[in-house]
Amino acid sequence: MTDTMTISKEKRQARTVSTIIYIFLVLLAVIYIVPLLWVLITSLKDDSTLMLSPWAMPAKLEWGNYEFAWTKGHLGTAMLNSLIVCSITLVVSMLFGSMAAFAIAKLRWKLSKLSLYYFLIGMMIPIHTILIPLFVQFSGWKMSNTLIGIIIPYITFSLPITIYIMVGFFEGIPNELFEAACIDGCSVYKMFGTVAIPLAKTGFMVTGLMSFVSNWNELLLAMVFISDETKKTLPVSLTKFVGPYHTNYCQMFAAIMIAIVPTIIAYVAFANQIVEGLTAGAVKG
Amino acid sequence: MDKLMRNKKAIILFIAPALMLFTAVLFVPVCKAIYYSFCNYKLPGHAKFFGFEDWKWLKNYKQLLTKDQTMRMAFRNSMFFMVFSIVTQLVSGLFLAALLTNIKKGRNLFKNIYYLPCVLSSAALGLLWMFVFTPRLGINQMLASLGAWGGDCTLGPQWLFNTEGYIILPIWVVSFVALWQYVGQSMMLYMAQISGISSDIYEASYIDGCSRRQSFFYITLPLIKPMVATAMSLNAIGSLKFFDLIYNMIPEGFLSHKADVIATHLYTSAFKFRKLGYGSAIGVILLILCLIMTVLINKFVKTENYDM
Repeated sequence: MTDTMTISKEKRQARTVSTIIYIFLVLLAVIYIVPLLWVLITSLKDDSTLMLSPWAMPAKLEWGNYEFAWTKGHLGTAMLNSLIVCSITLVVSMLFGSMAAFAIAKLRWKLSKLSLYYFLIGMMIPIHTILIPLFVQFSGWKMSNTLIGIIIPYITFSLPITIYIMVGFFEGIPNELFEAACIDGCSVYKMFGTVAIPLAKTGFMVTGLMSFVSNWNELLLAMVFISDETKKTLPVSLTKFVGPYHTNYCQMFAAIMIAIVPTIIAYVAFANQIVEGLTAGAVKG
Repeated sequence: MDKLMRNKKAIILFIAPALMLFTAVLFVPVCKAIYYSFCNYKLPGHAKFFGFEDWKWLKNYKQLLTKDQTMRMAFRNSMFFMVFSIVTQLVSGLFLAALLTNIKKGRNLFKNIYYLPCVLSSAALGLLWMFVFTPRLGINQMLASLGAWGGDCTLGPQWLFNTEGYIILPIWVVSFVALWQYVGQSMMLYMAQISGISSDIYEASYIDGCSRRQSFFYITLPLIKPMVATAMSLNAIGSLKFFDLIYNMIPEGFLSHKADVIATHLYTSAFKFRKLGYGSAIGVILLILCLIMTVLINKFVKTENYDM
């Protein structure tokens, strides 16, 4: 009798604790979601109602705000530019990175460990340090106001982490597989293409995600290198459009929405894979 | 097989593109930045070495470390950011990870919600929070409409424009926004490590009469120590490089550089005032700080790897 009573008491206590935990987690989630909802709602209002009644829902949906930000704020062009820059960077950095990683992990040469360390130093170098010399160099080559001028640094900054993670994945592939391929008459290039790459798919997903997310959001380098309105990337156009000198708040909120909605949609669709992938990358980095 | 893997031509072909790009775009510019930092280099004009006689070559650094008021404030703010983010991210990241690993329902949902800002553009989020803390909109407007300050929102706290105190209010605000944005990452790192701990260890501890709290302090904490070092150095370096949020939350020139950090000081010196040599010196200092922090953290948070 006393035994069952203590058990039920413990259970009750556990239940109160977990209720408190859940209340806390929900409150925290509110802090995460409410600012985003606020931007969404405000972006559909017009300025006069925003100033009069902050709590009111928009009476009439002002899609014109979005249209203005998309065309006059150049956010449409900017999104296209970002997409071009990030896609090219993604493909090239994964190709170059996995090639180098294959050479380091599987090919046999004396300096392979040393070259890995050389690449790893790159992870500690902040982009700010090389900003000025790169800017001078690229202006000299007439590359400072072109998309290719930011694609090249982006590729380079994606390389160290890509190489590091891919080396891990390639080293995990047993050598017997390559020996078998060798006996079947494969060349080194074919081994890379038909054995190594298909077996390291997870690695490509992880590195691709990391490079895409960080380049999509990169502001400083793009802001310094590009001054031409038609070549700006999304964070730069947004930063220039939204500011103390633009006075229509609702249009600026619409611009913020345009900038974050694609990421949010992709995130909601693949949240688990994205979170796991980025964490795996950060753990290894 | 061995012969195939020693194929010199293939090795060069595989490693060359990455190696060349890395050297030309990362390694050479770092050396150049170090050289520029010893130069009198203002645009328009060319880099001119100060010369070796009586320590003239250190002129930029001397100016930077002794005379530059803005650098002093920027350095103070950056250090504050770093300490704040290391401490708060460690505590709150661990706390969230511990909570989330202990609940049964909805773990994935909460985890994904808290991680969301990490993948969003900090430029956009900075602007968002700038509006939240603008005197006429956001928090102040909402509190005023509920009756605070007699309904006048401009009487509320000037979140982003108050320049009183040693660490000014805007810096605190930005620090909390940064915590809001990046705590998900620390949380995920710790969760990944905690989920790797075998449940046998916990079962054994419960049999020995351990409470849940004890098992957290005596089993979980020691076993995730390697991850603490990783997360701490990520936070330290990330907060030293901090640029997007502060640049977008505090409009340039509004606070006469009181809210500058090292990265924004570099940006304004080099690309607003066109002092490239001076900016390079700031960049080199930033690089040295990053290296020091990485070494320090990895030295002091000793990583012992246990078998799990």
